[in-house]
Amino acid sequence: MTTLLSTPKAWPRILLERADAPDPTDLDAAVKAGAFEGLRSVVRELGPTGVIATIAASGLRGRGGAGFPTAEKWRTAATTEAARRYVVANGYGADPAVRTDRELLARDPFRVIEGLAIAAHAIGASEAFIAVRAEDVDLVRRLETAIGAATDAGFLGFDVFDSGFDVAVTVRPVQGAYLLGEETILLKSLEGKRGQPEQRPPHPAQRGLHGMPTVVQNIQTLASIPWIIRHGAERFAAVGAAGCPGTVLVQVRGPERDGIAEVPLGTPLRDIVALGGSPERGRALKAVLVGGPSGGILPPGQLDTPYTFDALRSVGAHVGSGSVIAVDDRTCIVDLARILTRYCADESCGKTIPCRIGTRRLSEIGDRIAAGTTGPTDLDRMTDLSADIVASALCDHERLATLPFTSGMRYFSDELEAHIARSSCPAGVCHPIAVAVGAPH
Amino acid sequence: MSLIPGFGMVRGMALTLRRFFEPKVTVRYPEVKPDIPHKFRGRLQLLYDEYGTLKCETCFQCAQACPIECIDMGGIDTKGRFHVHWGAAETYGERRDESALRRSGRPVPDAAYAHFEAADLSALEAILEEHDHDPAHMLQILEATQAAYGYLPVAALKRISQTTGAWYAMIYGTASYYRHLRFEPAADERQAEALSGRRPSEAAFLSGLDTALGGGSDRRGVN
Ligand SMILES: Cc1cc2nc3c(=O)[nH]c(=O)nc-3n(C[C@H](O)[C@H](O)[C@H](O)COP(=O)(O)O)c2cc1C
Ligand code: SF4
Ligand code: FES
Repeated sequence: MTTLLSTPKAWPRILLERADAPDPTDLDAAVKAGAFEGLRSVVRELGPTGVIATIAASGLRGRGGAGFPTAEKWRTAATTEAARRYVVANGYGADPAVRTDRELLARDPFRVIEGLAIAAHAIGASEAFIAVRAEDVDLVRRLETAIGAATDAGFLGFDVFDSGFDVAVTVRPVQGAYLLGEETILLKSLEGKRGQPEQRPPHPAQRGLHGMPTVVQNIQTLASIPWIIRHGAERFAAVGAAGCPGTVLVQVRGPERDGIAEVPLGTPLRDIVALGGSPERGRALKAVLVGGPSGGILPPGQLDTPYTFDALRSVGAHVGSGSVIAVDDRTCIVDLARILTRYCADESCGKTIPCRIGTRRLSEIGDRIAAGTTGPTDLDRMTDLSADIVASALCDHERLATLPFTSGMRYFSDELEAHIARSSCPAGVCHPIAVAVGAPH
Repeated sequence: MSLIPGFGMVRGMALTLRRFFEPKVTVRYPEVKPDIPHKFRGRLQLLYDEYGTLKCETCFQCAQACPIECIDMGGIDTKGRFHVHWGAAETYGERRDESALRRSGRPVPDAAYAHFEAADLSALEAILEEHDHDPAHMLQILEATQAAYGYLPVAALKRISQTTGAWYAMIYGTASYYRHLRFEPAADERQAEALSGRRPSEAAFLSGLDTALGGGSDRRGVN
């Protein structure tokens, strides 16, 4: 299990409320602690419109990266005419370095299952799926045990709380590509098809799984819902930043500690980076990589940026996979950016040409800069190419895959210039430039 | 051959003159749309990029769109893995054999043929039965087939296409997208385990990230 980092006392625990339970699949213990209370009040009292109104009042936004208002998605799905509707919990966890969603599922499966059932009730779905990585065999088994127990206890299945509401929850193991985390690709995979995204609109909430309205929701989004129902929308809205309430899980990688922390949205980046400890003696923090493989590389000057969807976007990073990585002065920004871009290019699904070829060219330019074989126009080319890629994107992967280099060019232009104009790598990393370090130019 | 010398030339000129006064066929596209048959895709050509790499991504869209299935394809896909042929395998093999024989007098040895050999399909039948021959379960069917055979034999893919009614191209497109599925026996243990373990590309990314954060990747290892 990944360690949970200790966080300041003032930070509330919403998602990790019961993360230290000795046996996460012990339903009785969970129920004593309040599990499925939210579902009960939703099916008995609030009803679909009531619960959507409550979620809207709470201001909950999707934790999967884009920060889309959850209630709006539900309303769309609920009001689209259809024979059936579906809810899908997106537990794929695309970023290989991040375990937040899987950890939450493993530590408190009932919280997510309850959120899923509430979502299903709200939009009028009777089938719900939890998509997780097939290689997490233990997690699949644990979820199946938890679903079995909840079904036996009457929280899932037929006639939940004698209300006439039916919901069947199924675990669906998926595997085989980074992009399975993207919602339309995940739905394709659940349909047994090649994983390539669809043009939006129509959004999955209008036409999703098997052509039916489908709400795809991140694990943390779902896990926030029972808490909102139990404690009220106002209390939730009071946590975190205005317009971006609640908490999220962040996978912090720092010089002293790696682990997962529950962080109120709007926390300054500085405080999140601090959870990972301070740099070793003689080292300095050079940058922070925020958002995973397609994240932005931010300089220490941006450490006051609040950790919210909008603020991070405006400085050239994004919440993304919820990863925050401290980068010290041993790292070359060009080297880091090209490794990230290469991974994004390798994982492109190939449907959109600017993504398939453009990201590959971006990573090649990066390789050239690192190898010291670049031309004076390469930075302009990179800027142009990035703009074209962003303008023609079909799914968000393409737009975001440009971030490592665009943020690198924005904040570390000196370092890039040094590579290009003087063939020198200030961090002393890049070869053949590295062998020239110390040698007279 | 005409009897009157020069008559052929006169006839040719007459045709030229007639064409000259006929209404023109240039269409003011896009204001006017020419009447083009559904699925017409223009002239098919395989293009190379400036690096000499084939631009075709072997996505099979062209073969799939071709109404009379005259397009057959084969080769190595962009991920550098083995690639099966699209099109009726028997026809393809025969045609290749025939023209190769015509040109050189001997058949060309082609490792791909081994993949056309009929596998013992009884295990597959059970899998198809279990999934009700339902094309919506394609991924599970493919995964179960790979578990049974160690890889996805062409004969099995063809059988899946026949009984589920799904296009062969669709099945191939699905199978080639997911990196845990393969078209030939696993090269080593690690690849064999890929069905349940971390994908090699993820492992490579994580170690690349570690190196970059810890002071740089080995530049000599690039590409
Ligand atoms: C390349 C890419 C990868 C993604 N990976 C994930 C993921 O691993 N987990 C996730 O919940 N959402 C992921 N998303 C976002 C989903 O597409 C989708 O927006 C999200 O699951 C919706 O849930 P939310 O509204 O609760 O955030 C990814 C998006 C993109 C473009
Ligand atoms: S942007 Fe890239 S990953 Fe997304 S659909 Fe296009 S090719 Fe596929
Ligand atoms: S580009 Fe050649 S098959 Fe699609």
